[in-house]
Amino acid sequence: MKTNSLWKDAFIRLAKDKLALFSLVIVLVYFFIAILSSLGLIAADWSQEVGASNLAPSMEHFFGTDIFGRSVFLKVIRGTQVAMSVGVAASIIAIPIGVLLGALAGYFGGWIDDFVTWLYTTFSSVPNIMLLISITLILGKGIFAVYIALGATSWVTLCRLIRGEVMKHKEREYVQAAGAIGGGHFRKLFRHILPNVSHIIIINTSMQFQIAIKSEVILSYLGLGVQGEPSWGTMIDDAKLELVRGVWWQLAGATVAMFFILLAFNILSDALRDALDPKLKGK
Amino acid sequence: MTTPLLSVRDLIVEFQTGEGIVRAVNNVSFDIPHGKTIGIVGESGSGKSVTSLAVMGLLQKPAAVVPQGEILFNGLDLLKCNETKMRELRGNQVSMIFQEPMTSLNPVFKVGEQIAEALRIHKNLSSKEAWEKAVHLMNQVGIPNPAVSAHKFPHEMSGGQKQRVMIAMAISCEPKLLIADEPTTALDVTIQKQVLELLHKLQQEYRMSMMFITHDLGVIGDIADDVVVMYRSNVVEKNNAKHIFTTANHPYTKGLLACRPKLGANPRRLLTVSDFMTEEGKEKVVPVERVQIFDKETVPDKNDHVLLEVSNLVTQFPIKGGFFGGTVDHFKAVNDVSFKIKKGKTLGLVGESGCGKTTLGRSILRLVEPSAGKIIYDGKDITHVKHEELRLLRKKMQIIFQDPYSSLNPRMTIADILIEPLNIHNEGGTKAQRYDMAKALIEKVGLKANQMNRYPHEFSGGQRQRICIARALMLRPEFVICDESVSALDVSIQAQVLNLLLDLQEEFGLTYVFISHDLSVVNFIADEVGVMYAGKIIEMDKASSIYKNAKEEYTRTLLSAIPKGETKQPLASLV
Repeated sequence: MKTNSLWKDAFIRLAKDKLALFSLVIVLVYFFIAILSSLGLIAADWSQEVGASNLAPSMEHFFGTDIFGRSVFLKVIRGTQVAMSVGVAASIIAIPIGVLLGALAGYFGGWIDDFVTWLYTTFSSVPNIMLLISITLILGKGIFAVYIALGATSWVTLCRLIRGEVMKHKEREYVQAAGAIGGGHFRKLFRHILPNVSHIIIINTSMQFQIAIKSEVILSYLGLGVQGEPSWGTMIDDAKLELVRGVWWQLAGATVAMFFILLAFNILSDALRDALDPKLKGK
Repeated sequence: MTTPLLSVRDLIVEFQTGEGIVRAVNNVSFDIPHGKTIGIVGESGSGKSVTSLAVMGLLQKPAAVVPQGEILFNGLDLLKCNETKMRELRGNQVSMIFQEPMTSLNPVFKVGEQIAEALRIHKNLSSKEAWEKAVHLMNQVGIPNPAVSAHKFPHEMSGGQKQRVMIAMAISCEPKLLIADEPTTALDVTIQKQVLELLHKLQQEYRMSMMFITHDLGVIGDIADDVVVMYRSNVVEKNNAKHIFTTANHPYTKGLLACRPKLGANPRRLLTVSDFMTEEGKEKVVPVERVQIFDKETVPDKNDHVLLEVSNLVTQFPIKGGFFGGTVDHFKAVNDVSFKIKKGKTLGLVGESGCGKTTLGRSILRLVEPSAGKIIYDGKDITHVKHEELRLLRKKMQIIFQDPYSSLNPRMTIADILIEPLNIHNEGGTKAQRYDMAKALIEKVGLKANQMNRYPHEFSGGQRQRICIARALMLRPEFVICDESVSALDVSIQAQVLNLLLDLQEEFGLTYVFISHDLSVVNFIADEVGVMYAGKIIEMDKASSIYKNAKEEYTRTLLSAIPKGETKQPLASLV
């Protein structure tokens, strides 16, 4: 009989779900496009005029051109880079904060827990979009401010989940057993408890990623996001005025691009939860 | 002869799994006559629960397939019934009690409502009538003050009371057949006895038929008319209960009967199923010396060295309350406990859940901080030692937990789990040497070295408990606390683990504190027994004499609660 870790088991379950695999492929394709674009290998010359103003989609210009005669297709690609980079940056900021604070609060309890709980209830009591707006206003407009703003708001959910899960696990006998063989707090928390709650980080990141993408679009739409770069949000903002003149392709390009990545992330998050969360195993 | 109420004929149940088809029930046939109780006995994985689920029509489709067989209930083949028909039968004519009373009740409804629900669905009673009937039923199952208790929520009741509520629900529609799937396994022995008596009484009163599923043959001795013994998906023996208990035929049945420790007279090591049959199921001759009664008193006391002395130990927990959640009072889980253990001996602590025995064990190890009193280990007061000293102490004192399912980290391999204690204390030389130590120990506890790279979820409960024992012994401790270490195991596995613990004690000169709610187990393994009640040790005596002349009424209650369904004949006659 072959032997599998829980991770491997989870992957085997995930691989059986064809829809989830397809979603994973879509996500990877978006990442690939974003990486190529950020390396300047594709869509580097998006600001060049490629034809007349407001050309309808054709074989030459997939998504048509905008008012300045730029390719909407290249703008969508550029927008993909912005969207994915925001997701990644927000996760890089949110995961360490959320995991560390959640784990410490859940494990030690007492005043640490009180403090962390106070911190995240304060954060979550302010409507997210207001918080995002105020942070971008303080830091000044631009993509960097969006990174910080999203990172600073998206750790809350993760922190709360990790805290609860750690509280549950610290009472388990395997953690007490680690104490009985002489393991200290550090070992109990990081070697024993965290690996058992780490699936939550993956599931949550997958869900937060799409929230980050959506938030970036909203911020950019409001004019608080990226400056001087195309983003799905600014494209939708542009389309607002163009629609009356029957120019729908800028809106369509941004929306379709957004639609597929959000749908893919949604399906993937569900599948990840089914595959990784032992509670739902067998259901 | 009249037709039986339930007749299972040549039943086969198979499960489709990732690794192919697994046959869980193989060609099983038995009858349940009207008004009789049938006990179905076997260890976990023997197919007994699957059989009962098949009768209830609760098999998980499409994973489970029934390629052959019929289940006739009053002449109606249940396997051919559609879901609508089955729903009509379930709860009404056939009902079921599950093993775990803690999770089978819905926590957000009052228990009275939950009982009344079935009555409203099946008997078309009005809400008021159903409620009155529910109160009446609660009275019948012996819940004190039923009119008030019906308004309680499940968390306000004890485990035994919850199981009584489950029984009230099951009998509410006066079913013809009651299926009880290990209804007492999660309960203390004293509660187990009450629940068994209640089931028997109700069965007589309602003239029900009952299918009683258990891993412990001893439990059903008093209530079953017929017994069906299942082993590895097959029925190996069926006969009337009296016959099974006196002249069992199949070696597996003999093994099951012999493996439960008896009060008083036991052989030096408990007999196990493997003494009676080989791996392939062939009968074996049990050597005479295996059944010879062993008297612990005859072993001379070589050692007078007191390893552990506990004096006036108190461990209390704050009770939070009031508007600001402050501490309003203290609950003394361990209240003024004193005892001594000599090196190489075993102290048994026995008592019901909530009596403080687990807290006592953890206080000794300082996993829970004691509030007052002294713990002297090997002549040294360890009540307040800190940090480094406490860490060094952990090498000498170890614990084996109750639940083998939650005490192993599911994300670590067995090798990692075993080597971890050595890593923490930086012992055992190089990586390869540590691995070899783990290998030697895993073989000592009866597992194979090539299983070491597996993960805990691939092992059975008994195997996991062996892994826990191996982990506890990695640091070569002198003193081990076994906290209900065999309670979660089937009786047949329990005997093997108890024997293992004794073997290891002999080999390594270990000193044990053995905590259990089952006096017969404690009586077998311990040299001295302390009976705990409400945080205090109320009686303490030599194991060999406590069952003969118990001074306290409570101890006698515990003694009388031990299932009496043992063979009426002396052990030797089994051979």
